[in-house]
Amino acid sequence: MLYLLFYALPVGLRLSALQAGVLALAVNSTAFCVEIFRGGLSAIPHGQYEAAASLGLRRVHAFRLVIFPQLLRVVFPALGNQVISVVLGSSVASVVGVPELTYETLSIGSITFRYFEIFVLAAVFYIVAAQAISLVWRAVGFALGAPRSAR
Amino acid sequence: MIGTGHLTAYLYLLVKGALVTLELSFGALILGTAGGVLLGLLRTARTRPLRALPLAYIEIVRSTPFLILLFFIYYGLPLALNADIPAYPAAIVALSVHCSAYMAEVVRAGLQSVPLGQTQAAAALGLRYRQIVRLVILPQAMLVMVPPTIGVYISTIKESSLASVIGFVELLGTGAAIRESNAGRNTADVLGFVAFCYFVICFALSRLGRWLERRSGGKTR
Repeated sequence: MLYLLFYALPVGLRLSALQAGVLALAVNSTAFCVEIFRGGLSAIPHGQYEAAASLGLRRVHAFRLVIFPQLLRVVFPALGNQVISVVLGSSVASVVGVPELTYETLSIGSITFRYFEIFVLAAVFYIVAAQAISLVWRAVGFALGAPRSAR
Repeated sequence: MIGTGHLTAYLYLLVKGALVTLELSFGALILGTAGGVLLGLLRTARTRPLRALPLAYIEIVRSTPFLILLFFIYYGLPLALNADIPAYPAAIVALSVHCSAYMAEVVRAGLQSVPLGQTQAAAALGLRYRQIVRLVILPQAMLVMVPPTIGVYISTIKESSLASVIGFVELLGTGAAIRESNAGRNTADVLGFVAFCYFVICFALSRLGRWLERRSGGKTR
């Protein structure tokens, strides 16, 4: 889907490769984030809203002070997975010519013809990035009191 | 700037491309699922080294973008093996590897969702480990595994569009080629149709998943 956006978007609007890439990733990940937050919201018991209302909090305050902190805790691990999948998904931007890791790897490969080594190296870069994000995310999640990540 | 006129002319080619996409992704789904179930079972094995090996595989594959995996198999492996790998097998292998790693996690989560008491009860009945897995744990785990499996399948079908990057002409490859041959003019409808095809395939799959869930008497969410 992401890849389709790259080709379809520049048809009507003239976007640079980077702009198209960022926009496509954002649109794609928005859809997944909506699902994550929807799931998170439905996980919060209705009594929390009623309790907040009975304390005299207005809707905005109830959300900010009561619902949101709980929501954040619930969705935190899923959001981490989403962050990682966006980072990995960014490799697709190479197709429209954004000079990111995959694109550079491919062009170095085409110069030196050492595809085997260069792609192993690129994979190591991505793995380190993904594992680092997952590690930091887990540490922050632990501090927030989030449930353990599935990943 | 909405393109018109090209869609009807190229409809035949696009439908052919869609069939190739289906063929490619279903081949990968079958291989990937088989590999995933095997890896998932190994992940829950009792001996430690048996568990560690699939973990490394899963983490490496899941932390690598699919495109890198595809390029590695298409460009990198032929140089290391000194053999030619055409685009079609490369795409199938890459998709299968990708799919199997995600499936392995689904299978593991499914197996672990079955309460420990079930295993203990089965053991108390005198069943052996293999029998416990096959007769008690798997039937229950399958129910839980249906929705995430459909999710993995859908994402695999979408990833299959990246096979066009290594020159394999499937649905998206066809659309891109049509765009190319018209120098990018007036092909919004063709690309829109390509997107629509992916939507139809994925939507049908998710409906199938719903139906399976209902038919197997699983809890509807």
